[in-house]
Amino acid sequence: MRGRHLHALRLSWRGLRRDLRAGDVRALFLALTLAVAAATMIGFFLDRLERGLTRQAGQLLGGDVVLEQSRPFEAELRAALEEAGLALSDQVDMVSMVRHGEAFQPVSVKAVDDAYPHYGESLVDRGAGREALASGPARGTAWIAPRLALLLNLETGDTLRLGRAELEVGGVIEREADPSAGFGSFNPRLMIHLDDLAATGLVQPGSRIEYELLAAGPAAAVERVMPRLERLRAAGVEVRDVRRDRPRLGSALARADRYLSLAGLAAVLLAGVAVAMATRRYVERHLDTAALLRCFGARQAELVRLFALQLLWLALAASALGALLGLAGQAALLALLGALVAVELPPPGPAPLVLGVLTALAVLAGFAGPTLLRLRRVSALKVLRRELDPLPASAWLVVGVAGLVFGALLWLYSGDPGLSLVLLVGGALAGGLLWGLGGVLLAGLLALCARLPRRDDAGPLQALRLGGRQLARRRATSLGQLLAFSVALFAMAMIALVRGDLVDAWRDQLPADTPNHFAINIQPGERDAFEAALGEAAASRSALYPMVRGRLTAIDGRPPRQAVPEEARGDNALRRELNLTWRASLPEGNRLVAGEWFAPRAGGAAGGWVEAAEAGPGAARVPISVESGLAERLGLALGDTLTFTIGSAAITGEIESLRELDWDSFRPNFYVIFPPGVLERFGHSYITAFHLDGADREALRGLVRDFPGVTLLDVEAILERVREVLARVTRAVELVLAFVLLAGVSVLHAALTASLPVRAHEAGLLRVFGAGNRLLARVQGAEYALLGLASGLLAAGLAELAAAGLYGGWLELTPRWHPELWLGLPAAGAVLVGGIGLWLSRGLRRRAPAESLALLGET
Amino acid sequence: MLRAAHLTKRVESGDRSLTILNALDLEVFPGESLAILGQSGAGKSTLLGLLAGLDAPTSGELALFGEPLGALDEDGRAALRAGRVGFVFQNFQLLPTLTALENVLLPLELAPGADAEARARDWLARVGLGERLDHLPKQLSGGEQQRVALARAFVTGAELVFADEPTGNLDPATGERVIDTLFALNREAGTTLVLVTHDRALARRCDRCLELVEGRMREAEPEELGA
Repeated sequence: MRGRHLHALRLSWRGLRRDLRAGDVRALFLALTLAVAAATMIGFFLDRLERGLTRQAGQLLGGDVVLEQSRPFEAELRAALEEAGLALSDQVDMVSMVRHGEAFQPVSVKAVDDAYPHYGESLVDRGAGREALASGPARGTAWIAPRLALLLNLETGDTLRLGRAELEVGGVIEREADPSAGFGSFNPRLMIHLDDLAATGLVQPGSRIEYELLAAGPAAAVERVMPRLERLRAAGVEVRDVRRDRPRLGSALARADRYLSLAGLAAVLLAGVAVAMATRRYVERHLDTAALLRCFGARQAELVRLFALQLLWLALAASALGALLGLAGQAALLALLGALVAVELPPPGPAPLVLGVLTALAVLAGFAGPTLLRLRRVSALKVLRRELDPLPASAWLVVGVAGLVFGALLWLYSGDPGLSLVLLVGGALAGGLLWGLGGVLLAGLLALCARLPRRDDAGPLQALRLGGRQLARRRATSLGQLLAFSVALFAMAMIALVRGDLVDAWRDQLPADTPNHFAINIQPGERDAFEAALGEAAASRSALYPMVRGRLTAIDGRPPRQAVPEEARGDNALRRELNLTWRASLPEGNRLVAGEWFAPRAGGAAGGWVEAAEAGPGAARVPISVESGLAERLGLALGDTLTFTIGSAAITGEIESLRELDWDSFRPNFYVIFPPGVLERFGHSYITAFHLDGADREALRGLVRDFPGVTLLDVEAILERVREVLARVTRAVELVLAFVLLAGVSVLHAALTASLPVRAHEAGLLRVFGAGNRLLARVQGAEYALLGLASGLLAAGLAELAAAGLYGGWLELTPRWHPELWLGLPAAGAVLVGGIGLWLSRGLRRRAPAESLALLGET
Repeated sequence: MLRAAHLTKRVESGDRSLTILNALDLEVFPGESLAILGQSGAGKSTLLGLLAGLDAPTSGELALFGEPLGALDEDGRAALRAGRVGFVFQNFQLLPTLTALENVLLPLELAPGADAEARARDWLARVGLGERLDHLPKQLSGGEQQRVALARAFVTGAELVFADEPTGNLDPATGERVIDTLFALNREAGTTLVLVTHDRALARRCDRCLELVEGRMREAEPEELGA
């Protein structure tokens, strides 16, 4: 028995080697190799890029996970994190006063250890120009923000006093390695070494200090400690991780990720179609072999085993080559991008390789399986009567099995069974529709061609008429090709379309005039003057918002910690004062998602609200509007009441609306908004954001000079960093798009190659009847172009449908109508199919008719 | 070796029934060469298909190597043929992507065997193509292709060889040489030969000759064959 199996293996291997002489086996091999190469290349690239991009987002945050609380972290927690494979770095943040000579200035102190920073580099001027440093200040020295240097007239080498310690100014820090970490503070930065903190004497019982533990390491390590982190969160520790802490960046990454897997799938689908086309020809050619073998005494099971094994060898060989190509491709890709993707990427992992091989086998089984089964049904009698071919596999079976396998791959790639099912059912419906529409479209086009006026010369009209007639003669084959090309053009269009809209969405997210400065502490008395000054200097600005700081002290009358879900107990909003504002209208960039915006109140708004605010429980409360993300985190709903303590007063408001807003819009954003007439009596200042051209330093200096009390914050560095990440993701997306387009072209190539023998026969016949080179080229060109045109039209309809579904459901983009598809795709189809077809058949036109006619006999 | 009784083959075409073979009786004895003559469309190839177990009769009994074919399914009939039946076809039926040697190896490869290649080479040498082992069919002439097919039919040590119009696609001179080779190999190997042809001159060279007329079989007399 074992000998027999070995024999079968040997036989199939030998058969395959001989078979490689045939064009269709090479096409099949190429299609499979391409599927694996595309899957592994995108897999490897995505895997590495995603890990790299996550790491870069980690750089913004300072680590992959950042823990924050108001007391030092325990050694036991450190040990647990380190044991899980995370590297740790300690930071202490506080606000304190620094002195230089007789001048004082509040500063935002950040004390860092030797492990700082986990990712990235700081830009520091230590007296010898700007340097990129992957470390913090040395012991005994301090790095200061340019603003602090300006305010206290400090220079490198000067000595400043922080608490009881004297520190030497070691450098001016222009960009921190982890810039977002300092964004919450409005005071200029002063960075020192952690070991110097004790000497300052600032760490006292009762002082407001934030201890941060920054952890960095592989995603798996973070996953391992997640349960523990969740417990910490419940215990009131603030836990930030890369994907949660910066929602917009997170969603940009998630969308890029989805896009790239979508592109990977499109490439696999395209390769699948190519495999299906190549398999048809493979099977047709092997019908004779199967019949002969039946004659020589082979059983059905032996035939199945023989061909299945042959194809298995083919798939394995294609997998190996494809994986190598994929690996080389992604390396070449990265080398090419080199400076562009400055993200430091981890080495390729094995997972994409496994996925690639699995993909090859699945594509082969799904797209070639049912067609191959035809070989099993070959009658030995075919050797005597050639016409006795078994019926082709039912189109429904072929499409059904391919659909199921593709659905499984969808699931594997997207990790979303619901979506896979929806896409699959949608795909099946679209397939049916396509089949029907394709038939009608083809018939219509051909009827149109047949009505073209008859001419004696070999002009374009004559060529169209003849080309149309050739298509009509092979109606079933033409319809099959039409569908294959439609799917290819559809997949290419989808990937291009989604890419365009995705990149546009990213671009819209941070337009060129996005505010790059914040102004805070604008006093009510200087408000108008500041607004006027800003109006002249700034390219764009947001409204001025009054700002009152208040602490959330009760939710529905209960202490907040008890009222919120367990995992929200460490939430920042419960631990810090919140910036409250008042406003009559919904702020720019905010969208109401629940409830109603404040209605004007009868009887004089101000008086009415104040009474309500100060009345006891049971009286009408002040309506407030809450940001929906905060409401979700804290488990708040419309009708809940929030009590804020402002100074010594307490004000209770009832949630009347929930708002959605973009936290990364670089505009002043508020968790809680009151109606006018409530907060005015408390001490308040104004905040605004504005855009100043990078070169316009003079305007900035003017503002600093004219409004010394106003604090100006430059967020250009953060803005730039976010832009940079988006730009990189965009480039990656564009690159993958190019691959999908390449895969699409290869389908056209495979399908046209498979149809060459039949076309050769036709060309041979036309030649025999006296057609010249020119007419032949025109007829073939017309035929291909007609096919491409019809495919483009079908693909446009399909892409429009699919885009509407995908945008709403998966990519969270606003669906829109794409008129460019309806013009572009038919034209692109005609040019692409026409061009490739003409190029491929150039050999046919050179061939002698006798040779072309014999070609068909060999099939 | 081969026995048929009341062999009938009817095909249905729409609402019409066409009887191609009508209650034929036939016996083929070991070692003999039998020619089945018939006009084009007389049902010769249908009969050959039935005799070789490539097709099933509408009614009647058929036994190959003493085994009743009616009791076997397709796979059973294939297994009965394996290694014991050889074929030569009018259109050669060589696989275009296989070399001459590989084409001859094909039937041998169905069962494990150590000396397959040596045997294939030997048989190709016997048909005079020892120097053309690596040539593809398209690099061989029609006569040479049919000689490859002959080597393939005999290489397994078949007890019974069916030949279907083996010279039908060849010019007379080439056909003559191919037939010489066929009979020489047949004698050498002591094989039973069933040859289907419309060529009376070719039929004459066989030990016995039957003629298929209107679905029935009759002995062809030597004088009818022009002997």
